[in-house]
Amino acid sequence: MAVPFWRNRDRYYSILGNKCAQCSEEYFPPVSICRKCQSTNLKDKHMPRNGILLSYTMQKESLPGFEDQEPMTFGIVKLENGVKIISQLVDAPYESLRQGTKLKAVFRRIRSDGESGQIFYGYKFTLSAKKFDVSE
Amino acid sequence: MGDHWNQSISELAFSACKKILKENSKPEAVIVSNAFSELSSQSSVGPMLADSLGLEGVDSFNVESSGASGGVAIHVANNLICSGQISSALVVGVEKMRDIDPAKLVLAQALSESAEYSQFFGISFAALNALLARMYIREYDVPRDKLSCFPVIAHRNSSTAEHAQFKKKFTVEEVSRSEPIADPLRTLDCAPVGDGAAALLIVGEKYVDKKERVVKIAASESCSNRINFFDRDHMFRFGSTETATKKALKKSDLRIDQLDFFEIHDSYSILAALSVEGLGLSKAGEACDDASNGKFDLNGRYPISTFGGMKARGYPVGAAGVYQACEAYMQLTGQAGPNQVKDSRNCLIQSMSGIDGSALIQVLSKER
Repeated sequence: MAVPFWRNRDRYYSILGNKCAQCSEEYFPPVSICRKCQSTNLKDKHMPRNGILLSYTMQKESLPGFEDQEPMTFGIVKLENGVKIISQLVDAPYESLRQGTKLKAVFRRIRSDGESGQIFYGYKFTLSAKKFDVSE
Repeated sequence: MGDHWNQSISELAFSACKKILKENSKPEAVIVSNAFSELSSQSSVGPMLADSLGLEGVDSFNVESSGASGGVAIHVANNLICSGQISSALVVGVEKMRDIDPAKLVLAQALSESAEYSQFFGISFAALNALLARMYIREYDVPRDKLSCFPVIAHRNSSTAEHAQFKKKFTVEEVSRSEPIADPLRTLDCAPVGDGAAALLIVGEKYVDKKERVVKIAASESCSNRINFFDRDHMFRFGSTETATKKALKKSDLRIDQLDFFEIHDSYSILAALSVEGLGLSKAGEACDDASNGKFDLNGRYPISTFGGMKARGYPVGAAGVYQACEAYMQLTGQAGPNQVKDSRNCLIQSMSGIDGSALIQVLSKER
């Protein structure tokens, strides 16, 4: 787990995707070949940090390492550039979620390898109407 | 299907193969479909099973393509035989889900999704299906209760299937009010965990024993899709299923309305709904209406999951496609007992990895 995490740390920390230098299409996760024009000339690009909620769910069963966060809420977020990503939703009462709810990215702990193991960090999304944000 | 605590992967596979091995000469190849054996510390199950079946010396390997593994194994065997490379293959689907550490079962089900961008963040496969289900329900204004019609059909069919894991019927209300797994999906929307093995012998046309009851693989086709359903141009269309079905119908020279029943990939009720739409049995957004109107019942226009499907017969992930083919064989040869679809001559089986990440379609026909 540690090596793939290290390799992707900028992707996870700052939602770093990429953009086609030929047709300007943007991607997250990054792609090697542009799906629109098949160009292989793509440059790293940070994704917008705001978006709207398209779908959401509260999952009752966890993957190993996430038991302490049960139940987790996940959503499909459509970012301002049209890119859709899956993300955990935090500090957002489940009952308040709707299609179209405005969200913003925050930097959070994803999980940790036990009490003395590595801590993995990355993006999650929360309500953009919130006044206080620990990442700023 | 069920919990075979006292049998190893080899013993379970052997129990599925012994009848075939007793009645036929040695196959030229043993192709094993399995998705999760490595989670219980066993790789290379192909040659290992060939050895335990007493078939050392034959061509043997295993294929893995998550829930489509069984369909892929049949596809590969069929292609090897059609190309003339081999004349016969024993296809064995086997899965020992109960040998997996229970803490890893949720991970096992999520393995077909991106390790770096889905699993890393902790999302389960059930939750991905739930995200799709919520959008589908809203897009087509489908009442949640109508989605429950698919598990109801599956469990009605499994209640009379001898090999099913669950021989119990459920009502729409029981499905819709069962324990939430990932809102809006409930426990009874999801296929169970269990062990299972199934086997079939595929032989080239000129090697067919005329005394045997045989069915013909009229077509076998495969197609892949963008893995993330939300990245697709049409989120509610199963493109792999659509394309592979069109190719298979063309190859078998049949129209969809000439097929008598369908074994579909119904491991979640939303997958069942989008699968029947992808196959062309329902118009977009109408699958649940059709299900509640009896279209997919055993005696309906297009029967599905005739022994309960993955939802109720059980879902031994890597073996599921082989189970479907065996059940289709039972139907086409008139051995389906109380689950018999009358006068069935042609059928279609569909299995997939992930959420239509890939789809395998086989059209099977009764030999005239």
